[in-house]
Amino acid sequence: MDVNGAPSDAEIVARVLAGDTEAFGFVIRRYEAGLLRFATRMLGSRDAAADAVAEGLVRAYRHLASCRDPERLRTWLYRIVTNRCKSHLARRSVGDVPLDEAPPLADPSDGEATLERAEQLALVQRALTGLSPDKREAFVLKHVEGLSYEEMAAITGERIPTLKMRVHRAREALLKVLEEHT
Amino acid sequence: MRLGVALALLTAGVPLVAQSVQGRLEGRIPGEAVPVVDSLVQVALREGLPSEPLVQKALEGGAKQVPAPRIVAAVRASLGQLREAHDLLVRAGDQPPVRPGEVTTVAWALRRKLPPSTIERVVAELPHPPRGPAIHAIADLVAHGFDPDSSAGLIIDAVHDGLQRDRLLDVSTAALHEVQRGRTRDEAITVVRQQLPNVPGPPKPERGTVTRARRPETMTPPRR
Amino acid sequence: MSTIDPRIHEALDGELPTDALPVELRPAAQTVRTAADLLAAPVPGASLESRIMAEVRRPAPSPLRRAAGWLATPHAVTLRVRPVWSLALAATAAVFTLFFARDAGPQLGEHEGIAQFVGRFPDARSVHVVGTFNDWRPGTIALEDLRHDGVWSATVVLPTGTYEYMFVVDGERWVPDHLADRLVADDFGRENSVVIVRPVHR
Repeated sequence: MDVNGAPSDAEIVARVLAGDTEAFGFVIRRYEAGLLRFATRMLGSRDAAADAVAEGLVRAYRHLASCRDPERLRTWLYRIVTNRCKSHLARRSVGDVPLDEAPPLADPSDGEATLERAEQLALVQRALTGLSPDKREAFVLKHVEGLSYEEMAAITGERIPTLKMRVHRAREALLKVLEEHT
Repeated sequence: MRLGVALALLTAGVPLVAQSVQGRLEGRIPGEAVPVVDSLVQVALREGLPSEPLVQKALEGGAKQVPAPRIVAAVRASLGQLREAHDLLVRAGDQPPVRPGEVTTVAWALRRKLPPSTIERVVAELPHPPRGPAIHAIADLVAHGFDPDSSAGLIIDAVHDGLQRDRLLDVSTAALHEVQRGRTRDEAITVVRQQLPNVPGPPKPERGTVTRARRPETMTPPRR
Repeated sequence: MSTIDPRIHEALDGELPTDALPVELRPAAQTVRTAADLLAAPVPGASLESRIMAEVRRPAPSPLRRAAGWLATPHAVTLRVRPVWSLALAATAAVFTLFFARDAGPQLGEHEGIAQFVGRFPDARSVHVVGTFNDWRPGTIALEDLRHDGVWSATVVLPTGTYEYMFVVDGERWVPDHLADRLVADDFGRENSVVIVRPVHR
């Protein structure tokens, strides 16, 4: 338990492995929002992201016994969902499905500030979608999910200098696009 | 006498296939596409290529209500893939006539983006019987982002370790499972190679699954 | 070769305090931070919990299966019954055996396997699976929504091999199986799902 009385990741994993399927609901509620945001930024589509996260979490449940370090469940889940996103992207490269699905538009009755924010988000998401998947992944993990390079290395299996280089290249590419539009 | 009957059946074979193809297509694809698809099937038969993939592609287009010109274009593209697969097998050292089943498998692997050089390597290194399943297993790995050379190396090692036919798909499945468990693809290949030849088989279906299973009324042979 | 001043990277990587960044370099760092803040906004939409939990609960053993597991485990059981009751129990057991023997499903050949098709279509009225195993003939293999929870499924005996397929929802909407591990371009601008049917008897 943590100080708020919520079970720790290791406790939840132990309960699920002991047969308490419903305890997996804690895992979903705890990590769903972050994983969904990560997958949406990676895939550029909320629907595709929902599929990737749902598939990833179902797989995580089925292979929970192989999670070697339950205290680092979050890293492990990101790793699985990252792989699901890459599978989705690999499939798309074969088909004709467009990658640049726009994020949901703001309701016109929303305030001007909200509309402007939605337009900015659409611009940034488009710029992000223009990056290669490796650079996009590195940028999102670093700047959107706020992970350290060590955590990113654990998720992606890449070396820290490689990840740093990808983040740097991603920033440069994004700045170039964003500065052209502002 | 028996030889005569066999020869008569063989020579009658082509028109029989053609008749049955027309029968399978009529009413299932737009009328104007039937003679064109039929002629493409005849070409495939004359060139010693498998014709079933062409029929399936036409039926698929018809079911999806694709206009006739696009059905014809897709069938023509399939014929091109089969020719490419045939030529690749010959280039890799097979003597014509090559086995239709292997042509289908290689065409399928090319559709799944398996590089021709990898296929040539497999054809050069493996004898016929495990070759088809080996190409399937490698194509499966490559479609999931594995490096073609490493994938081919793993599956060829598995054959040399005594694994055959369906067991080769267990090797690719084991590597995919390792990735799902959080390993990188390179790590997955290393781990599975160390397990060879003792990779786990597919899980047995549960009794309830077998009980529920039903045979569909209309069935066609698998693509192998 | 970096196209921006390396100190911007240092500041964004937390290796250089923002205050230490020359004023002319601060807008670029701020642009990256603003972009990241926009992307960090929560993604709206319904929770996936019920969808995931429905899938997670599916393979869980049923009470019947758990009971069967208990029965299959050695336990010390003492029964004291009258002979007439033991005869009645034997008769009941015989009826059950016959029932299960009759519904044991199809006998599978050496080159046959089982394919399970599952899809989530909450508002569908009908779902069929169509593919190279049935000549792409719609309407021959229907999926069922047994629990009325929008999860449609069919369990089919097929010859071993590799097949391409799609779902047809309400007789008109063609949808690939998003849960399939394998997809391939269909040459008509979309993708087919791929299923590999393995032999049951090995």
